Amino acid sequence: MVSSIKAWVGLQSHAEEMQSIHLKNLFHPSEDRFGAFSFSFDHYLLDLSKQRITEETLSKLLLLAEQQGLAGWISKLFNGEKVNDSERRAALHSALRLPENATLCVDEQDVAQDVQASLLKMHGLVEQIQQAQWRGFDGSPIRCVVSIGVGGSSLGPLMACTALEQYTGADIRHLDVHFVSSMDGSELEKLLPNLDPATTLFIVASKSFTTVDTLANANTARQWLLSASHQSIDLINQHHFIAVTARPDQALTWGVPEKNQLLLWDWVGGRYSLWSVVGLPIALKIGMQNFREMLAGAHAMDEHFRDTPFEKNLPVLLALVSVWNINFLNIHAHAILPYDGRLSQLPAYLEQLEMESNGKSINRQGERIEYRTCPVLWGQVGSSAQHAFYQLLHQGTEPVMCDFIMAAMRYESEGEELKEQHQLSLANCLAQSRLLAIGESVSDSEEQQSNYKHYDGNQSSTTIMLDTLTPETFGGLIAMYEHKVFVQSVIWDINPFDQWGVEQGKKVASSLLAELRNGRNEVLDSSTNGLLRYVKSRQQRGVS
Amino acid sequence: MNICIYGSSLSAWVAATCLAKVGHAVVIDEVMGDSKQAITDVSVIRDEPGLLTEVLCQIKEGRLSRRQQHSKVTADVHWLALQPNEQQLAERVMDDLRLNGARVLVVNQCNFKVGATEGLQLSLGGGGDVVYMPDNLQEGLALQGFMQPSRIILGIDKKAAVDKTKAVLQAFTSDLDCLQLMSSREAEFTKFAITGMLALRIGYINELANLADLLQVDINIVQESMGADPRIGSHYLSPGCGFGGQNFDAYVQKFSGILQKERQQSLLKTVIEENEVQKELLFRKLWQHYQGKLTGKVVALWGASFKPGTGSIDNAPSIKIIDALISQGVQVNVHDPEALGHLINHYGQHPLINYSENHLTAVEGTDAVLLVTEWPIYKSPDYKRLVALMRVPLLIDGRNMLDKRQAKKNGFTYLGVGR
Repeated sequence: MVSSIKAWVGLQSHAEEMQSIHLKNLFHPSEDRFGAFSFSFDHYLLDLSKQRITEETLSKLLLLAEQQGLAGWISKLFNGEKVNDSERRAALHSALRLPENATLCVDEQDVAQDVQASLLKMHGLVEQIQQAQWRGFDGSPIRCVVSIGVGGSSLGPLMACTALEQYTGADIRHLDVHFVSSMDGSELEKLLPNLDPATTLFIVASKSFTTVDTLANANTARQWLLSASHQSIDLINQHHFIAVTARPDQALTWGVPEKNQLLLWDWVGGRYSLWSVVGLPIALKIGMQNFREMLAGAHAMDEHFRDTPFEKNLPVLLALVSVWNINFLNIHAHAILPYDGRLSQLPAYLEQLEMESNGKSINRQGERIEYRTCPVLWGQVGSSAQHAFYQLLHQGTEPVMCDFIMAAMRYESEGEELKEQHQLSLANCLAQSRLLAIGESVSDSEEQQSNYKHYDGNQSSTTIMLDTLTPETFGGLIAMYEHKVFVQSVIWDINPFDQWGVEQGKKVASSLLAELRNGRNEVLDSSTNGLLRYVKSRQQRGVS
Repeated sequence: MNICIYGSSLSAWVAATCLAKVGHAVVIDEVMGDSKQAITDVSVIRDEPGLLTEVLCQIKEGRLSRRQQHSKVTADVHWLALQPNEQQLAERVMDDLRLNGARVLVVNQCNFKVGATEGLQLSLGGGGDVVYMPDNLQEGLALQGFMQPSRIILGIDKKAAVDKTKAVLQAFTSDLDCLQLMSSREAEFTKFAITGMLALRIGYINELANLADLLQVDINIVQESMGADPRIGSHYLSPGCGFGGQNFDAYVQKFSGILQKERQQSLLKTVIEENEVQKELLFRKLWQHYQGKLTGKVVALWGASFKPGTGSIDNAPSIKIIDALISQGVQVNVHDPEALGHLINHYGQHPLINYSENHLTAVEGTDAVLLVTEWPIYKSPDYKRLVALMRVPLLIDGRNMLDKRQAKKNGFTYLGVGR
């Protein structure tokens, strides 16, 4: 097990020394700590100088990566080997963003070519919709697209659309894009009364096309269209539904004709799928050209990750420092704090990417592991979170590591007021990371303050700075986190590409649904039984 | 008088020709146009009935000439007939005139914005007067409209300029019932207000027609009764598949923009948006008839210009309809007495478009005829012959021009606008 290898043990004893050193004491006036611990590539800066690390820490972490065979794993990932061993699949999200003329043969199949063919079909649909030539049941052009999906089929596209909205060209601004996920229909209930059925198109995104949440919403949407149009179900399926799926047969059974299907493959994990045709809402929102730029940005990050020595490799360093925090400094909470409202959906996206990938406790050999893996991860736009949970970061009892994410430049062609707001936001971002690191001594006056005004500091943070937020840098940022998660999984010897922990709940839910419908009184635990009885009694009373 | 006209629009050529015709010495400075292009190739001239002959005649007789680049012009009257988005060009003309120093009269016919004439006066300085005369040009009837106006509005801010302006226009004002004098600002506003009012009427009758479609009411009956009410009158009260044209559309858009800027929202914005929707009405009727299964169908389009009497396809419903049809894989046979040249320029040789010289050849083997422009030639077709020529006898009449009863009697499915 990794926890018994030499590099791990070496880090443990190094950590014992480091535990007692306050972060502020790592800053020496004579040394350029920022210069030593910040790394840049292209449009990205990764600043680790507010982490509790020294040169020695980094070299020991790099040794750990080497001993865990990271280089070999990286080439396996990119070559399409079955790195998802529990499901015997490759994890080829990097192939989704290969340049148009690239080739990548896996099992004698050129997957790069398949990817381009799929993107080409998507391109055709996108143009038809954007040029207002996709027609609804009465011949009116589609003006509103509702994307139905959940988890990976929703979080990535929603995040990208929110982040890149400013790149929507004037010619496609007439098109509204909405997202619907929740199983209980709350979003549809609110949305549908404001939409015109004749001009609304639904994208149903589900890799398996059996996802209960998604199909429940899709059925509600179709019924809404049928009632409003008085048309046949066939006509509605033809003109109001696009399926994004790896199971064309299932989509066809539900009713989406082949011409309205966009395909992906089982080697695209849901939480890694925004680069595929799952990204259709993104392409509709910002145009195919910008979508391709997003792919190009991610591809540049892929190449950086694959080809750069680990000591300058942004995803590798990001991952190793988090391993240091989790496994050696015992920090088990991770806050994602973008200081940019456009990245408001990034925390929710990373919650899935990191926790669904690395929330595991069984290693690749099937053994239970005895070290920590993925921490609890959450976040919010930093400036809003300052008014919410920063209190805990500054004065609580939990050690928390933070990622501060921002763009150096914004509003270049806007008025002074907005530029000033950007400066304000940057100032707050830098202030918070500084205060979290240094603590109360940040204040000029050294006079003794009362305890409740005391700031301990010593909270580690990473700052990720983009030059500007563009489709390209956005793509690179997300790819960086994807690879970071992969590197962590290699260190922890776990499979980041499966998610068995979300399967059982679906099965239990379907048996409980039967229970709610017909009350078959299966033998359940007393708590669940009690709750079921309570619901039923309330519902019966409601009816009478 | 020596008059210099600025602009290459239809208004510019009509003003130049008519002013020359009544004896003024006119030079036209085409500004953004190409003064080397042969007159017979200038499409705004060719598209307007009678204009080409008249322009050539005035040039031949020496009263009208085209200004070549940098050639010197001395004129007492400078006449601006630029596009609504060319205010900067007008400012430049004012600057040149101010530097020249001669005392001049400037007649502004451009629809820039309310207050634009005052702005031009400021740029010109004290060396002359700028007056505003809205252009009431109706494409297809432009010459007649200029030569025999029923009314003229003049926006003049300085009393001294009134007589000078009347002198220029003397030939056109002798039989005039109505000459209205007001400030330039009021005149500019009036021009926009009239255009907006007309657009509102069309928008309203179209909305009524679409409702009539749903309620099985014949809009023609309603329209006639409405028109008979003296408070309403019958002008601009014919439903159809949308208005277009270069000028009308541009003015309405411009006015809507002003209203929106000053008042946040505008009735006219809705009218413009609904008009764009209306332009696809015939396509939607076809779509609904065939339940969305249009691929492989063959359709004849009767008329492509935005209205009869002109070859112009600027903002014409036909363009939106053709775009929609070819996107669905429909073969389009289009006929128009004047506009085919412009259509060929617009679409080129397209595998799904046939340009037909004859409106009956166009309907051979078709699954529908879409009547888009009310050219007289379409008014009374031989229905029996049409039935024989078409694959499916379906008439979609975007101008309520055909005899519905005759059509039905001969076995046609007839779909009008609100009838």
